[in-house]
Amino acid sequence: MKKLITLFLIAIIPSFIISQEVTWDKDNFPGKKEEFKNARKQLDIGTEFYSQGRGEFDDFKKAYLSTNKMMPMSHHDYRMSGITNFRDALAPLNTAYAFNPKDGRLNYMLGFIWWVSDPANPQTLKHLEAANQLHPNVENDLNYWLAWTYHLNSKWDEAITKYKEHLTFLSQKAKSNALEIEDVNKKIDECNNGKKLSATPERVFVDNLGPNINTSFPEYGPAITADEETIMYTARRDNTTGGKKDEGDNKYFEDVYVSTKLNGKWQPAKLLSKNVNTESHDAVAGLSPDGSKLYIYRDLSSDNGDLYETVLFGADWEPPVHMNKNINTKKYHENTVSLSFDSRQLYFVSNKESGLGGSDIYVCELDPKGEWGVSKNIGPDINTKYSEDGVFMHPDGVTMYFSSKGHNTMGGYDIFKSTLVNGKWGKPENLGYPINGPDDDVFFVVSGSGNRGYFASAKTGGYGDQDIYKITFLGPEKQPLLNTQDQLLALAANPVSNLKTENAVEIKAAKVTILKGVITDAKTNQPLEASIELVDNDKNQVIATFKSNSSSGKYLVTLPSGKNYGIAVKRDGYLFHSENFNLPDNADFQEYNKDVALKKIEVGSTIVLKNIFFDFDKATIRPESANELERLIKLLNENPTIKIELGSHTDSKGSDDYNMKLSDSRSKSVVDYLIGKGIAAARLTAKGYGETKPIDTNETDAGRQNNRRTEFKITEK
Amino acid sequence: MKNFLFLLTVVFTLTLSAQDTVKVAALTDPNLQAEQDYNNGLAALNKKEYAVAVDFFTKCVTVKTTFDKAFSNRAIAYVQLKNSEAAIADINTALKLNPINADNYFNKALIYYAFNKKDSTTSSLDQCLKIKADHQEANYYKGLILFEDADYKEAILYYSKAIDANPNYVFAINDRAAAKREMKDYAGAIADYNKAVSIDDKQFFIYNNLGSTYRLNKEFPKAIEAYSKALQIKPDYLLALNNRGAANFDNNNLKAASADFESVLSKDPKNSGAYNNLASIALKNKDYKKAKDLSTKAIDLDAKNGAAFYNRGIAKQMLREEEGCCTDWKKALELGVTGAKLFINSTCN
Repeated sequence: MKKLITLFLIAIIPSFIISQEVTWDKDNFPGKKEEFKNARKQLDIGTEFYSQGRGEFDDFKKAYLSTNKMMPMSHHDYRMSGITNFRDALAPLNTAYAFNPKDGRLNYMLGFIWWVSDPANPQTLKHLEAANQLHPNVENDLNYWLAWTYHLNSKWDEAITKYKEHLTFLSQKAKSNALEIEDVNKKIDECNNGKKLSATPERVFVDNLGPNINTSFPEYGPAITADEETIMYTARRDNTTGGKKDEGDNKYFEDVYVSTKLNGKWQPAKLLSKNVNTESHDAVAGLSPDGSKLYIYRDLSSDNGDLYETVLFGADWEPPVHMNKNINTKKYHENTVSLSFDSRQLYFVSNKESGLGGSDIYVCELDPKGEWGVSKNIGPDINTKYSEDGVFMHPDGVTMYFSSKGHNTMGGYDIFKSTLVNGKWGKPENLGYPINGPDDDVFFVVSGSGNRGYFASAKTGGYGDQDIYKITFLGPEKQPLLNTQDQLLALAANPVSNLKTENAVEIKAAKVTILKGVITDAKTNQPLEASIELVDNDKNQVIATFKSNSSSGKYLVTLPSGKNYGIAVKRDGYLFHSENFNLPDNADFQEYNKDVALKKIEVGSTIVLKNIFFDFDKATIRPESANELERLIKLLNENPTIKIELGSHTDSKGSDDYNMKLSDSRSKSVVDYLIGKGIAAARLTAKGYGETKPIDTNETDAGRQNNRRTEFKITEK
Repeated sequence: MKNFLFLLTVVFTLTLSAQDTVKVAALTDPNLQAEQDYNNGLAALNKKEYAVAVDFFTKCVTVKTTFDKAFSNRAIAYVQLKNSEAAIADINTALKLNPINADNYFNKALIYYAFNKKDSTTSSLDQCLKIKADHQEANYYKGLILFEDADYKEAILYYSKAIDANPNYVFAINDRAAAKREMKDYAGAIADYNKAVSIDDKQFFIYNNLGSTYRLNKEFPKAIEAYSKALQIKPDYLLALNNRGAANFDNNNLKAASADFESVLSKDPKNSGAYNNLASIALKNKDYKKAKDLSTKAIDLDAKNGAAFYNRGIAKQMLREEEGCCTDWKKALELGVTGAKLFINSTCN
């Protein structure tokens, strides 16, 4: 239980401390009797002024309701009613506040006074919030003014909460005012619009035009030429023509000012011609795109405010001419003019009764006489039951900018844009936050390029009161550009790598047999220089003759494939040595090592005649044998005393008898040949040995080939 | 004494070697020598010894005056030696000797291409294709030239013929994908790139091209995967590394993008593109001063980096340097960044 009580106290004590109002009871200010007395007196004085001011304010509100059939929609609509009394109340009430800041009602009064004079001032919210905390029921409209203050400070959720609380109060009232309920519901919608629009702010730069244009006095209603080189606007400055103030709001009368650009900078603004500015109100209502026609608003008491046109003639402006009855009315208020790009249409604003509600936008066409024809309401696509104002037709001929308290405003007037397509105005588009805010945003003009706009605002950070600002539209966020690179094409970098080379050729004559060795003396083994005769046996031609090295006896012969070669190694005093290489065309490269031991011409020396060929199985000598036989003949002729035996041998194939007969026949054939060539028969002996004297194995082809031979042996020298 | 004996041995050995020389009987045929010269020339050509190759081929054709292959190969050697006149003369001789050799026409086309004579290239390719309609390289090069002339539709036809002749012709498949990509047929391009890498998965540049196509098709995770594959094959392929950074940027992973661009710079500190891409990240983070500094660095490294001028213009605009931003955008437009025109129109007038 104790715990519960403790918890309860902990919960309520802070709120109790914060919200505890201090009433004006001297017991609440012990030891401050004199101060209390003085503060109490100031409170009374201030309250008196406040009450008078409040009376004026409430009367104005009633009258507004009656006339417009709707609640004042923006702060400006209240025209600062009661402001004189409210200003008089401020000082004494502040004195009382300084003594007792915890009086809910005092805070309410101060908050309300600030709301009327300057709702954006932090004092407004400070006092109204304090009143709400200290004494929520101090006045039954506290929630409303607090809500609207939140609204004007773009605190959307807080505003909605308070509006809803006030709505609850209104709906429970015995005599509820439908217009008041409608007003609160509309303001809740406006807060929702504001919430949505401010969540995605427009990308703009907002720049004050600077001290050559703006001052601590109000500047508003800008109009620019399409090229942005000239600006005209309304200001209420102390150098106004006539130097007087409007008693109604205690501000200097309006005059028209002008500035031009030099090297991109606005020059100090000057009063426009005396033909235009009077001692009364002269405000800019519009400017033609080329800057040659200026439209002025003048508010004479007899006409509720009308439009005038002045033309630039040479360097000066002509005296403004009252526009015709198709535009101006006696009973109603006309302000803001915009000419179409071709000057054939004139748009203007009027609050005449035939409209859809409040002020509306109208259009006149230029008739054949050069006069403005009958005006026509531009219709419900643009005009609403609430007020429209500040019309501006862009020189592109199809875009209209205007202000409206209807559509999806976020509070008071917002600036919208609509595009004319096929003669019909498109759905108006709110220009968004921060161009628009929760208070009035009116009189927006756009440069010919459409890139910049100009408007007036009382936002903080200016030179004082309303100032003229330039908006630069940045458009959607600019996406950065990345550097990337690809190697798109595979071979573009190196085309010549694709050139097609022809293939290598097969060189056909490259097949050779190399025969090499050492020539020596058979007995002494000494190296011998000898001649080596290369013979094409098929042609019986000596192809070449070489010599072995005299010192080493080495020789080397290359024999290209495709021939039947006879090789004879010769040296005087020695028997010639015979070799045979029968190389077919496709014989591959090979190397033979053949050492030759030359035998002296001595009895018993035997030489194999490797280049004697016979027909198969016959004793017929083949023609290829001719060179070998010639060598033999030469030997016999050069050595006329020697006698030789021609021996013929076979391998072991065939019978002994057969082989003997064959070899015998063959040796006789050779002998007969030699005899036929002039060699004495007595010097020659023919002998067939058959297979009886093999010099190699008969088991192999090579061996059998070696055994098949013709030899000659020196039998006598 | 020892030295004397050593010298004596050397002299004796040399003398023996000299005396040991034997007369080698060699039978030579001039035609065979010419063929050997041809083969030697070819060997030199393959070893990129082009001057040597020319000498060998010249010896060859001095003997074998109608050996068209030698003239053809010598032409190739002359191309490499940048002697266009000699190359063209030789290839024409080869063609005169063998007018029905499709490869010679192909070589002629390439020779002309190498020396930037596109009209002659095209006519030679056409002659090659007249002889051999399915000559894969000729079809490929026809496609390439059409691609270079931005006739992507026709380029695709010829690339396809090359691929029909050789379904594994990876480079033709790649180039066809590029043509499809230029025609904004991203699905077709992606299919071709994937086909190419399925045939040869070592071609890192194809993976890169695939990645870029995925990126164009806004399939950023797949783009990143493809770039990563390229980098797996060739880790220092900065092109793909930078591109992967761009894909990460598009995929809103600025941290990974930054890491990739920084990695490029660590390997190539003078990479203008990477600096500009870091500037892009700064713009996204609305750090306009940093963006301006980085894009300025990019411009200092490459005065023709249009994207860097474009980005710096954006930064300057946000820093309220209006004159500067207009100057930069105009420069960007001059360098071919057409997107700057809209900014100039909306801001600089």
